[in-house]
Amino acid sequence: MASIGVDVGGTFTDLVLERDDDGPGGRRVFVHKVPSTPADQSVGVVDGILAICRIAGLDPKAVRRVVHGTTVATNITIEKNGAEVGMLTTKGFRDLLHIARHKRPHNFSLHFDVPWQSDPLVKRRNRMPITERIMPPDGRVETPIDLDEVRAAVREMKARGVEAVIVCFLFSFLNDAHEKAALAIVREEMPEAFASASSEVANVIREFERFSTTAMNAYVGPRTARYLRNLEKRLRDEGMDAELRIMQSNGGIGTVATCSERPVTILMSGPAGGVIGGRWAGAMSGVGDVITIDIGGTSADIGVIADGAIRIMNPRDTVVGQHPVLAPMLDLDTIGAGGGSIAFRDEGGAFRVGPRSAGAMPGPACYGNGGSEPTVTDAHVVLGRLDPERFLGGDMAIDPALAEKAVREKVAEPFGMTLEEAALGIVTIVNANMALAIRSNSVARGFDPRRFSLMPFGGAGPLHGVALAEAVAARDVIVPPAPGITAAMGLLATKLAYEFTRSTPTLVSGPALGDFAAANATLADLTALATERLAADGVAPEAMLFERVAECRYQGQGFELRTPLPEGPITADNAAAIVASFHAVHERDYGYRFDDTQVEIVTLRVIGSAEVPPLTWPELADAASPDPTEALLYVRPTTFDDRQRLDTPRYDRDRLKAGHVVPGPAIILQHNSTTLVPPGFTARIEKAGNIRIARNQQPSAEVAS
Amino acid sequence: MSIDPVTLQVIGGALHTIAREMAYVLYRMSFSSIIRESEDLGAGLFDRSFATLCESDNTPLHIGSIPGYLRGIEASMTTPWREGDVVIHNHPYFGASHSPDIAVVVPVFYEGRHIGFAGNTAHHVDIGSATPGLIVDIQDIFGEGMLLKAVKLYEGGVRNETVWNYLANNSRVGRQLQDDLGAQIASAQLGARRFQELYATYGAETVEAASAELMAYTERMLRKRIAEIPDGDYVAESWLDDDGRNRGVRLPIKVCVRIRGDEAEVDLTGSSPQVPTAFNVPFEGSTKVACYVAFRSLLLDTFTASVPIPANEGSFRPIRVTAPKGTIFNPIFPTAASARFSQCNRMIDCIIRALSPVLPDAAIAGSSASLSFVAYSGLRKTSNDYWVFIEVNEGAYGGRPRSDGPDSIDNLMANTRNNPIEDLGMHLPMICDRYELRDDVECGAGRFRGGIGVVKHQRLLEGGWLTHEAERHTDKPWGLFGGHDGAEGRVDIFNHADPAGTTEPQHAKISGVVMKPGDTMAFYSPCGGGFGDPLERPAATVLDDVLDGFCTMGYARSAYGVVIDDAMRIDHEATLALRAEMAARAAAR
Repeated sequence: MASIGVDVGGTFTDLVLERDDDGPGGRRVFVHKVPSTPADQSVGVVDGILAICRIAGLDPKAVRRVVHGTTVATNITIEKNGAEVGMLTTKGFRDLLHIARHKRPHNFSLHFDVPWQSDPLVKRRNRMPITERIMPPDGRVETPIDLDEVRAAVREMKARGVEAVIVCFLFSFLNDAHEKAALAIVREEMPEAFASASSEVANVIREFERFSTTAMNAYVGPRTARYLRNLEKRLRDEGMDAELRIMQSNGGIGTVATCSERPVTILMSGPAGGVIGGRWAGAMSGVGDVITIDIGGTSADIGVIADGAIRIMNPRDTVVGQHPVLAPMLDLDTIGAGGGSIAFRDEGGAFRVGPRSAGAMPGPACYGNGGSEPTVTDAHVVLGRLDPERFLGGDMAIDPALAEKAVREKVAEPFGMTLEEAALGIVTIVNANMALAIRSNSVARGFDPRRFSLMPFGGAGPLHGVALAEAVAARDVIVPPAPGITAAMGLLATKLAYEFTRSTPTLVSGPALGDFAAANATLADLTALATERLAADGVAPEAMLFERVAECRYQGQGFELRTPLPEGPITADNAAAIVASFHAVHERDYGYRFDDTQVEIVTLRVIGSAEVPPLTWPELADAASPDPTEALLYVRPTTFDDRQRLDTPRYDRDRLKAGHVVPGPAIILQHNSTTLVPPGFTARIEKAGNIRIARNQQPSAEVAS
Repeated sequence: MSIDPVTLQVIGGALHTIAREMAYVLYRMSFSSIIRESEDLGAGLFDRSFATLCESDNTPLHIGSIPGYLRGIEASMTTPWREGDVVIHNHPYFGASHSPDIAVVVPVFYEGRHIGFAGNTAHHVDIGSATPGLIVDIQDIFGEGMLLKAVKLYEGGVRNETVWNYLANNSRVGRQLQDDLGAQIASAQLGARRFQELYATYGAETVEAASAELMAYTERMLRKRIAEIPDGDYVAESWLDDDGRNRGVRLPIKVCVRIRGDEAEVDLTGSSPQVPTAFNVPFEGSTKVACYVAFRSLLLDTFTASVPIPANEGSFRPIRVTAPKGTIFNPIFPTAASARFSQCNRMIDCIIRALSPVLPDAAIAGSSASLSFVAYSGLRKTSNDYWVFIEVNEGAYGGRPRSDGPDSIDNLMANTRNNPIEDLGMHLPMICDRYELRDDVECGAGRFRGGIGVVKHQRLLEGGWLTHEAERHTDKPWGLFGGHDGAEGRVDIFNHADPAGTTEPQHAKISGVVMKPGDTMAFYSPCGGGFGDPLERPAATVLDDVLDGFCTMGYARSAYGVVIDDAMRIDHEATLALRAEMAARAAAR
C-alpha cells in the first residue's frame, strides 16, 4: 500500500510517494517531477502518478490515497474563463456586486481598472431582482418572497444558457428561508445547473463579501467540479481505486465531492501545501515556530507557523483576483519577488528589482532563450553561486556570459557600479523586499521573529535563507530535505479539515449579558454539520476532532479577531475567559486593549478534523565524523553578501550524513536546489534530513558598534 | 551625505511598510464606521522640520495634510515637547484639514534627541458641532464644535484625565470619540517605535539622507511630466449650486493652470468670495492638498506607471497654489470651513478640463466631482443616548481615453469604503431599502461612456435628524471631445408608508432636517460625462450595454445611432444608415 502527494505548479508537477513497506533499494519514500500540462492538469497528474509508481516498483492498484494540490480553480480566476453565472437577489440591490465597497483600487489614478466592473463574476444582465425582504435584527419577514417571480427568472436564465445559479438575499444569515425556497425552484427547473445559496456558501454577515464569495464559488464551480471528477475517472481508468483527496486553502484535505461543491475552498490549494510541508519539516527538527518562504520564479509565498499551529487569515483579508472570498485560507503573503524578478534603472534613476518577472519564457538572461534583462538568478550566476554545469542537477545549460552581459549593461553601467556591486545590489534589494514582507506577516502581527526558524524552500529559497534570517533576526535557518518539492510533501502531512461558520452576534461582556442560547444552538448546529461531513468521509466518531472559534470584536469595531472558545457551551461563568483571551489577542495583534469596552462575538466557527498519519522521511545514516570531506565535489570562488570573494567548497547533499558539520563559506548542491552557507555560519546535517544553519558563536562578548 | 541606490531602496521599502502598518492598526482597531470602513484617515512619520518621511495611502485628502497640522501645533504649543507626550489638534486655521479630522501626534526621541514625529489623522463622528455629525449652515468656526489646538492628552507619559473628561462630555458620542482616539494613539506609538528601530538599524544620517533622496526622486518624476506639457495658461470654469443657505446663488469656480518649464501654478483667482456658511475650504490643509492630488492623478497615474512612486512631499514642490485671502478657497478666521470636499473635487475636475487640450491621452470627461456626506442621528429609545452615523456616498467617473468611466465609485479625491448594509441594520435603527445603479436618467454617451451613479435609500425606523453636504444638483458633468454630458445629482425625502404621496425634492445641502419614523432619504449621485463621439462606440458594445441595462434601447438609437430589434439583435443596415445620417447632421452644424 502507498500514498502519493501530487502538487501541480506552473512548470512542473511534483510528486512524492510513500510505501508502507520497503521498495527498490530498501527505500520507502520516492520523489519525482514531470512537466505540467496546463491545458488539462490531470494529464500530467496521471502521467506522474504512473511514473512514480514505476520508480517505486509499485502496482498503481496498491495506491491507497492520492492527495492533490491543484491550481485549477485559481487559474480560472486568473484566465477569467469561469462559468456564465446567474444570480437571484433582493429587489433594489441588483448591483451590490458592481458597487462592491465603492472604493477605488488606486488613490492617484484616472485610468485605473475596476475588475469587478470590467470582468464581473456575474454579468448585470444575469442579476435578477426578486421581491422579498427579511429584516434585521431578528430576521423577521417584512415582504414574503414572490415565488412566481423566481420561477420566471430561472426559466429566463435557463433559456440564456446560464450554467450556474446563485441565490443571494440580504440578511439571509439571520433567516435563510427565502434563499432555500428560491434554491428549491432553481434545482427543480435547472437540475443540471451548479446551484448554491449565499447562506450555504458563507453564512456570515456583510452582504457584499458573502455574495462575492458565493459568486466566485459558482464562477469556478462547474469547471473545477468537472476537472476533479475527470481526474477521478482517469485514475479509475488506470485501474486505480485510490481515494482522491484535495488540499484546501485552510491546509486541510477534502474529498472530491465536497471540493466540487465548494471549490471556493481550494483557491489557495497550491501554496497551502508549502506551508504544511514547512510545518512538517519543522516538526522533524522538533521546531514548532517556523517562518516559511517558498521562493519561485515570479513570486514568493510567506507563511508563519507558531507553536506548531498554522494560522488562518482574517476573513477581511481573503481576496482572490480583487474579489473578496470568505473561505478559510492559510495566512500567506505573496509578493512579486523571485528568481525571475527583473532588475532595472527606472526613469527617475531608482534601482528597481521586480515586480516584473522574466517568467519561464524567456526566463533569466542566462537561460539563453532571448531574455536580455538581468534577473535575480543572473545575479547569483555572476556572483558564482549557481554553477552552470550543475544547474537543475545538470539538466539545463545556462550561460554565465549572458548573465554578466545583462547585469553589466542594464544595471552596472547605468549606475556606474562594478559588475559585482551591481549583482550584489540586485540580491540585496530583492532580499530587502522579501524581508519586509516577512516582517509584516510576523513582527507586525505580534510575533517575535527571534523565536522562529526561517525555512526557505522552492528551488531558489535556500540561496536566500541565511540572508533573510539575518535581516529579520530569525533564530536560525532550516533547509528541508527536498526544498524543490516541499509543497508535495505537505500533501502527505496534513489532516482532513472542514470549517463551518455562522454569524450569531452575541455580547459576552457588559451589563446586558446572559442569553447564550442562540450562540450555543449555532455551535451545536455547526458541530453537527462537521460531524456529518467527517462521517461521510468514513471517519469514526472517536477520531473526530473539533476546534471551536469565536470571531470577536469590541462592540462597535468593524474587524473581528479569532478567539478560542472553552470546552462545552458558553455560559455566564466561562464568558469571562472568552473576554480575557480576546483582550490578549487584540493586544498581540494591535499592541493595545480597551479593558472597559464590551466584547461581542460576531461569527462562530467550528473546524472538524481527523488526523492522517504523516509522511515519514527516511533518517540519514550517521557520519563517521563531523568532517564532510567525503561529500566534497570541488572548490570554486564565490562572492558573498559582505563582498568577500572566497574559494568555496561545494558539497553533494546526497552524500552528506547525519552529524556532518559544514562550516561556511560553503555551498551544498542537490538536484533542484542550492544552499548557500556564508562565512561566519555553520550548517549541521540532522538525522531527520534537515540542514540547520546558524551563526557561529562569537568567541568573546560582542562589542557594541 | 549621499546615499547609494541599494540602501535607498531598502530604507524606502521600510518606510513604506511602517506607514502601512500604522494605518492598518488604526482602521482595524477603530470604532466609528467612518474610520474602520471608510478608512477616512492618514498616518506617517515626519522629521523634526515636519517633512514627510512616509505616509499611508488610505484616503488622498489626508495624504500631505499632516505637516500642516505639525506646523500649526508647533506654533500653538504652550509647553515644550517631551518624550511620552501625545498631542491632539484640529484647528483649521492652524493647519488642520477641517475640524472633524483630529490629528494625534507623538514626538519621537532617539538617544535623547528629538528626531521627529509619528502621527495620524482620522475623521471623527461628532465633535459637538451645531448639528450632529456634520455641519453646513452655521454661523462661524465655533459652530463646528470643539477646537483642539495642540492639546496634550498625555504629558511626559502621564494621562491628562481632565482633558479626557472634557472630550467625553463634549461629543454626542463621547465613548466612541475616546476609543477612536485610543486607536489613533496605538497607531502613533507603533510608528514611534518603528521610527526608533529604523534609526537604530541604519543610523540617523542614513535615514535622513534616504528620506531626502526619496522626496527628490518623487519631485524629479513629477517635474519631468510637467516639463512635457507645453508652456501656457490653461483655464476652465464651473459653478457650485449654493452655499447651503442662500438658495439659487451660484458660486463660481475659476481655475487657471500656468505651466512654466517643469513647474505649475494653480491660480484660483476669480473663484467665489468666502461664504457665510461652513462651505469654505481651509487653504493649508485642503486647498493645497487637493491641487497636489490633481497633479499626481493626472501625471503620476499609479495604474499606468511602471514603477511605484513614493507618496511624499516631493510631489508638492513643483506646484504653487494661489487663492486670494477671503475667497472660498482661502477663508479668513472665524469663518466656518468644515464642508470643503465638493469644492476641492470640482477644482480637480476643472484642472483636468483645463489641461485636456494638451493632455488628450490623460484627461478624462467630467466626473461627479462632488461628495455626498450624510449624517444620520437620533436618540436611542432605551437610554436616550445619541447615535450618530456618517456616510460617504459615491459618485462616478467621466469617460476616459481608453475605457468607460467607472460606475458607482468614490470620485477623484475621495476614496472610502461603504458601510455594509447588514452591519448597519444590525446596530442602528436604520435600514437600507435600495442601493443600485440609477435608472432614472439617460446620459453620458461617448466612444467611452460616462460612469453611472447610484441610488441609495436610507430609512430611519424611529426618526431622528439628518444633515447632508453635497453638490451638483444644477450642473451636469461635462462630456469631452464629442462625448455627451452626464447627469446632475438629486435628493428626495419621502415616508416609507407612502413614497408617491410624500416625496419632496431637496437641495444638495440640507442642515438639521427633522426625520419622522419611516422617513427615507433617496440619494442619486451625479453621472459622468462621455468621452469621444458616441457614433464611434462599436455597435456590439452598445448592444452589450443594452443587454446589461446600462443603456436603454431608445438611448442606443438616439445617442449612439444603434438600432436594436425586438429579438435583441443589432440591425446592422439600419444602424449604418442612422449613424451616417447623424454624422452628416453633426458635420452640418
